[in-house]
Amino acid sequence: MSGEAARRRQLQAQPMWRILLEQFLEHRMAVAGLGVILLFLGVALFAPAISALTGLDPNRQNIFNRYQPPGSHLDLSTRERELRVQHFMQTAERQALVTHLMGLDLLGFAVAEEDLLHELVTQYTPLELTGRLATLAPVAPGELQGDLAAFARLVAGLRSFHLLGTDELGRDVLIRLVYGTRVSVGVGLMVALVAGLIGLLVGSLAGYYGGRIDAVLMRFTDALLSLPILVVLIVVSAIDLGKLLGDTPFSFIVESRHESIIKMVLILCLFSWMQAARLVRGSILSIKEQEFVLAARVLGARDRSVIGAHIIPNVIAPLLVAVTLGIGNAILFEAALSFLGLGIQPPVPSWGNMLNNAQEMVQHAPTLAILPGLLILFTVISFNYVGDGLRDAIDPRSIRR
Amino acid sequence: MTAFILRRLAQTIVVILLLSFFCYLLMTLMPGDPVDEMIMANPEITAADIDRLRALHGLDQPVYARYWNWASTILAGDLGYSRTYRVPVTEILGPRLLNTFILAGAALLLALVVAIPLGVWAALRRNTMADYLINLVAFAGISVPSFWIAIVLILVFAVQIPIFPAGGTGSIALDMTPWEALRDRLWYLVLPVLSLSFLSIGTYVRYTRAAMLEAMSSDYIRTARAKGLSAPRIYLMHGFRNALIPLITITALSFSTLFSGAIITETVFAYRGVGQLVFQSIQGNDFNVAMVAFMISVSMVLLMNLVADLLYGVADPRITYQ
Repeated sequence: MSGEAARRRQLQAQPMWRILLEQFLEHRMAVAGLGVILLFLGVALFAPAISALTGLDPNRQNIFNRYQPPGSHLDLSTRERELRVQHFMQTAERQALVTHLMGLDLLGFAVAEEDLLHELVTQYTPLELTGRLATLAPVAPGELQGDLAAFARLVAGLRSFHLLGTDELGRDVLIRLVYGTRVSVGVGLMVALVAGLIGLLVGSLAGYYGGRIDAVLMRFTDALLSLPILVVLIVVSAIDLGKLLGDTPFSFIVESRHESIIKMVLILCLFSWMQAARLVRGSILSIKEQEFVLAARVLGARDRSVIGAHIIPNVIAPLLVAVTLGIGNAILFEAALSFLGLGIQPPVPSWGNMLNNAQEMVQHAPTLAILPGLLILFTVISFNYVGDGLRDAIDPRSIRR
Repeated sequence: MTAFILRRLAQTIVVILLLSFFCYLLMTLMPGDPVDEMIMANPEITAADIDRLRALHGLDQPVYARYWNWASTILAGDLGYSRTYRVPVTEILGPRLLNTFILAGAALLLALVVAIPLGVWAALRRNTMADYLINLVAFAGISVPSFWIAIVLILVFAVQIPIFPAGGTGSIALDMTPWEALRDRLWYLVLPVLSLSFLSIGTYVRYTRAAMLEAMSSDYIRTARAKGLSAPRIYLMHGFRNALIPLITITALSFSTLFSGAIITETVFAYRGVGQLVFQSIQGNDFNVAMVAFMISVSMVLLMNLVADLLYGVADPRITYQ
């Protein structure tokens, strides 16, 4: 009975997107890849939430705890501890607590009242201090219990857990990878989208108008395509944006905190649109000879509306494939340049620049070198599989009904 | 045919000329110039000295004039002088080029030897477990960052199991017999070649598989089967022979990728090739070396593209050059 129903459904006309979706879902690796991508996008979007939830900060250094192995519980740096105590003292009236602790002479040496808590958290390790406070709590006067408990909570929070260990400045690797996802995937997406648009523009101009415009544009595209792209990228990304944009209205880019990210996106866009342009041109050359375009023209449609209403909808599908594959490539290029020290500049973390330092310490901290690379591999392979799946899905020869 | 070659050659030269100007322009936009470095090296330098030095090095002239000066000395055969190495550029460049060719050539060879059989096999066993596995390897090959695979190779084969050197081009020893010297060179080549060929293997497997699938679904394969030819003969003489045509172009075109990849591989392994030279001279503000090394890398790649076009015609007699 169900077989009968399935056959009847197949006989009905199905909308195009439905056919494409079914085709795509048959490509198991592509579906898995899409899952991975959605996961990473989620991580990138919720990076600040993850940071707030775990209490970890991608830029918080801990210089005495560099290169700690995965799964370490570490004491925060003394500076960070003092900052927290300062905050503790400023947010509420703590005089009673301080006077009480002064009377107990926990330090064994004289200290000014306002320095007492600072000295306590720096002279003792958080673990020791928690132990002392635990013995003090039962004998403390009742009105101080609240303050003492608050202080104990503060002291307990002076330790942090590092699931993936710490890097060359004692920063948490996990949270840096999370923020690195933001930068690396973000740059990849932005570059591929803009490059897709440039490709669409150049490709449609060349394909639609043909003749001399086509010849010039395509010669240019081919010349760029034939270059060893990474070598060119290295030369281009070594330029000083300040020298180029110093006195122009664009100088705000140079002063921005994210100069290296903007620069990377601009440079990668300049050299990634060629595949898309060739593809769009090819599609248009075949589409523009078809009857429906001729019909539109006979009806008096202008160039703009023929391109916009008839041609672009037909090149969107192949362009989508090119953009998807382009994201993976852009991520790889960004990683390579950042690895060489020419791309995203620290302290902003990206998967590539995290590997920059890791190479020298590969003996002591192999996880530092392995993890960012694995994330790059997973992300890029996912985008490549999704692109492959999309290509199969839109290929009319592979459609089975 | 001759007209075609000449026209393509002329186009290539135009591209190289445009690119050299573009690159010269970029170099002027990089942080620091020779005089900046002299200023940093000598705190007692006076403003008059600075002006005099700028005039001496021609840095007070506009970019196009400086480019013209540079290009005319280059064309006269003088490649300039390296500020870092204190020797003429020609002396550094020769051995470096050779090293890069050895690296790229070995990687290309390894990639072809591994990838073509895998690709053909995957195509003949389409939609089996073997096909999926080979596909996964190919996708991993095109998706893995080459510098990372290099680090992992160092970690495994130079740190954990110290078989191969972690970097360098060869041992520094004087009393080696030619045989020992060759073995030494090869030993240092293993890891760089492995890491460089990884990407190409992925690419070639995918192309070989696609080309072979295309060929095997053609009518002449059905005809060959109907004639009762043996399976190996069908696969090799009829299938693979035709799959080879697109492969030749891809191989020649991939020289560009190899040159690109070499710049990373050479940097990670401290291998003394042109790629490393380009990177180091840009970092070290060694302008003459950077320009010449960059131009030579690009010219090599463009010439290989030209060769690819010509080979295409040799492999496929249907193609004519107008």
